[in-house]
Amino acid sequence: MSSLKELYDYRQMIFSLVRKDLRGRYKGSVLGFLWTFINPLLQLLVYTIVFSYILPNNIDKYYLYLFVGLIPWIFFSASVTGGSSSIVAQKDLIKKIYFPREVIPISYVTSCFVNMLLCFIVIFAVIIISGTGINPVALLCLPVIMIVEYILALGMALLTSAITVYFRDLEHILGIFTMAWMYMTPIMYEKSIVPQNLLPLFNLNPMTHVIECYRAVLYGGEIPDLASLVSSCGLGIFFLVLGSFIFGKLQKHFAEEL
Amino acid sequence: MSKDEIAIDVDNITKKFKIYLDKGNDLKERLLFRKRSRYEERLVLKGISFQVKKGEAIGLIGHNGCGKSTTLKLLTKIMYPDSGTIKMNGRVSSLIELGAGFHPDMSGRENIYTNASIFGLTKKEIDERLNDIISFSELEEFIDNPVRTYSSGMYMRLAFSVAINVDADILLIDEILGVGDANFQAKCFNKLKSIKASGTSIVIVSHSLGQIEQICERSIWIHEGVIKAEGSPKEIDLEYLEFMGQKLQENTQKELEKKSEIKDENQNKTEDVSENPELNQESNQESKKRWGNGKARITDIKAFDQNNKEQKVFKTGENIKIKVKYTVNQKVEDAVFGIGIFNLDGIQCYGTNTRIDKLNTFNIEKNGTVEIILDDVNLLSGEYLIDIAIESGDGIPVDYFREAYRINIISSSGDVGITRIKHNWII
Repeated sequence: MSSLKELYDYRQMIFSLVRKDLRGRYKGSVLGFLWTFINPLLQLLVYTIVFSYILPNNIDKYYLYLFVGLIPWIFFSASVTGGSSSIVAQKDLIKKIYFPREVIPISYVTSCFVNMLLCFIVIFAVIIISGTGINPVALLCLPVIMIVEYILALGMALLTSAITVYFRDLEHILGIFTMAWMYMTPIMYEKSIVPQNLLPLFNLNPMTHVIECYRAVLYGGEIPDLASLVSSCGLGIFFLVLGSFIFGKLQKHFAEEL
Repeated sequence: MSKDEIAIDVDNITKKFKIYLDKGNDLKERLLFRKRSRYEERLVLKGISFQVKKGEAIGLIGHNGCGKSTTLKLLTKIMYPDSGTIKMNGRVSSLIELGAGFHPDMSGRENIYTNASIFGLTKKEIDERLNDIISFSELEEFIDNPVRTYSSGMYMRLAFSVAINVDADILLIDEILGVGDANFQAKCFNKLKSIKASGTSIVIVSHSLGQIEQICERSIWIHEGVIKAEGSPKEIDLEYLEFMGQKLQENTQKELEKKSEIKDENQNKTEDVSENPELNQESNQESKKRWGNGKARITDIKAFDQNNKEQKVFKTGENIKIKVKYTVNQKVEDAVFGIGIFNLDGIQCYGTNTRIDKLNTFNIEKNGTVEIILDDVNLLSGEYLIDIAIESGDGIPVDYFREAYRINIISSSGDVGITRIKHNWII
C-alpha cells in the first residue's frame, strides 16, 4: 500500500472523484439528484406491499425491519461488485498518469457510502413516521457501525478491484456471489431461524454482525451487542489489511495489463 | 555530486513486456484455448542508467519504439521496472496526459480542481494557484462555461496551464509542446525556461530536436533499449540525425528495390495487370511522383558537404553539392536541368533551373552527371525534399522526379522560420 501520507496528500483527488461520481450519477434524468431519495422510497413501497399482502409474516413492522438492513447491505454489495470494476473503468487515467492507485477504490466506496448516508435521511423519516422511537444513546453507536462497515467494504473493494484487472470474469462471478451472500446474511429473516449447524458460518460472516448492529440501533432502539460490534470490527480490519496487501502487490502491473 | 543535488537517479533499469499473440481474457477462453495465451517477451529496456541534477534539463531522443517513452513511464511510476532502481527526489508532475479526468459538463474552474487534484494538490494549494492557472490559460471569459463548449485549442490550453502550474520539483514531458497557437507555444516555452531556472529538473521526450536543443543541457540517445550516446544536445542530435539519415536511405533503397521487383513482376505478367488493381495503384502512385517522356532518366542522386563527403545531414549555412547521374536513351535537345527544394509542409523554399540561370543551351546525348553547388544554404532545422528534373527545351518533361531526395538541416541556434536572413542588431 502506498504510504498513508501519500494517500493523505491525494485527499483532494478522492474528494473530486466522489463529487464527480455523485453529480454524474443521475445526470440527464429529469428528477436528477432526487432519485437518491426516490429510489429507496420506492423500494420500501414494494417491500411493504409484498410483505403485508402477499407474503405476510409475524415480524412487527417488517418493512422497517427489512429496510434498516437492506440499505446498509446495498451499500456493501455495490462497493464489492461496482468496486471490482472501478480500476478497469478508470484505465485511461491509470495508464497515463501517476497517483496512488488506492485512490480509485477508495473514491468509489466513499461515493457509495455518501449515497447510503443520504438514504439514511429516508430511514429516519420512516422511523419517525412509523412511530418507533429513537434511542439517542443507541444512536451514538451508529457512526461506529458505519465506520466498521466502511472499512469492511473498502477491504473487499481493494481486493476485488485489483484481481479484476487480471481476471475480468470476477466482475460477473461477484454478481451471483453477492446475491448468495445476501441470503446468507440475516437481512430478510431473523437470525434465530437459522439452523443450529449453520450458525458458525453465519457468525464468520462479518455482514451478519454489521446488519444485527444496525438493526439493534434503528429497529430495536437499543445499544448493539458489544461482541457483535467487536467481531465485525476485527473482521473488517482483517479484510482491509488483506485487501491493501494484495492490492499493493498487484497494482505494479496495472498499466501493462489494462 | 552530492546526494541532494541529484533529482533523478536511474540505476540499471530493465523492463520487459509480454506481447500476447492472442490473449484470452476470460476464464472460458483461458481454459479452452490454453495454448492461445502464449506470449513473447520483449526486452524494451536493457539496462539504462542516468542521473539528472537539480535544475538540469535532459532530452531523451531515439526512433519510435526505442524505449524512451517507456523510460518516461517508469519515471512517473505508471509502470515499475523489472530490475534496477529509480529514485526521484521531490514532487513529480508529468505533461504526459493533459486534461486527465476532465469532465465535459463541468466548468473550466471545476475541472481545474479535478485535474489539479489528480496531480496530488490539496484544495488550499489549488486555491493559491487558481489565478495563475486561469491567467496563463487566457480563458478568463470562459472559465465558468462547461468544458464541452471549448474548442480543442482552449481545452489543451487549460490542461497545459494546470499541469505547468503544479510547481513540481521534477517535470516530465512527452511530446506535447505543440499546444495552441504560436503565441501560446512561445509562452509555454518561456514558462518552461523559468521553471527550469527556479530549480526544477526537466526530462523531455521529443522528436523535435530543436526544442530539446533550446531547453536541455544534455541529450540521451536511446537505441534499442540501451543508451547509445549521451552528451550536449548539439553533438548528440547531429549524430542521431546522421544515423537516422542513413537508416532512411537504407529504407528507401529497400523500398526502391521492392518497387522494381514489383515492376519486373508487372512486366512479366502484363496480361494480368488489368485483373490486379492493387499493383496498378502502386505504379500510379509512383508515376505521380515521377513523370516524363523517358528520353533520359535520372539514376542516382547524392549530396556532399564541402569536404566532398557524402552526407544527408547538414548544418545551416553549409555548402551542399548535389550530384545527379543520368542515362540517355535518346538525344535530348536544349536540355534543362532543374532543382526544387521543399519543406515538409510542401512549401517551396527554393527552385531554379539551367534556363532560369541563363546557361548556354546544350544537348545531352550520352550518360553523364550534373552537379549543382549550393552555397551557404541558410535553411533552418528540418527535413527537406528535393525535386530533380530534366526537361527538353520546349518545356516537355523528360524525367521529372518529385521528392527524389531528402536532406536534413540542423540549426545550432534557435531562430525560427524557413531560412536564415543575415542580420545585425543596432541597439
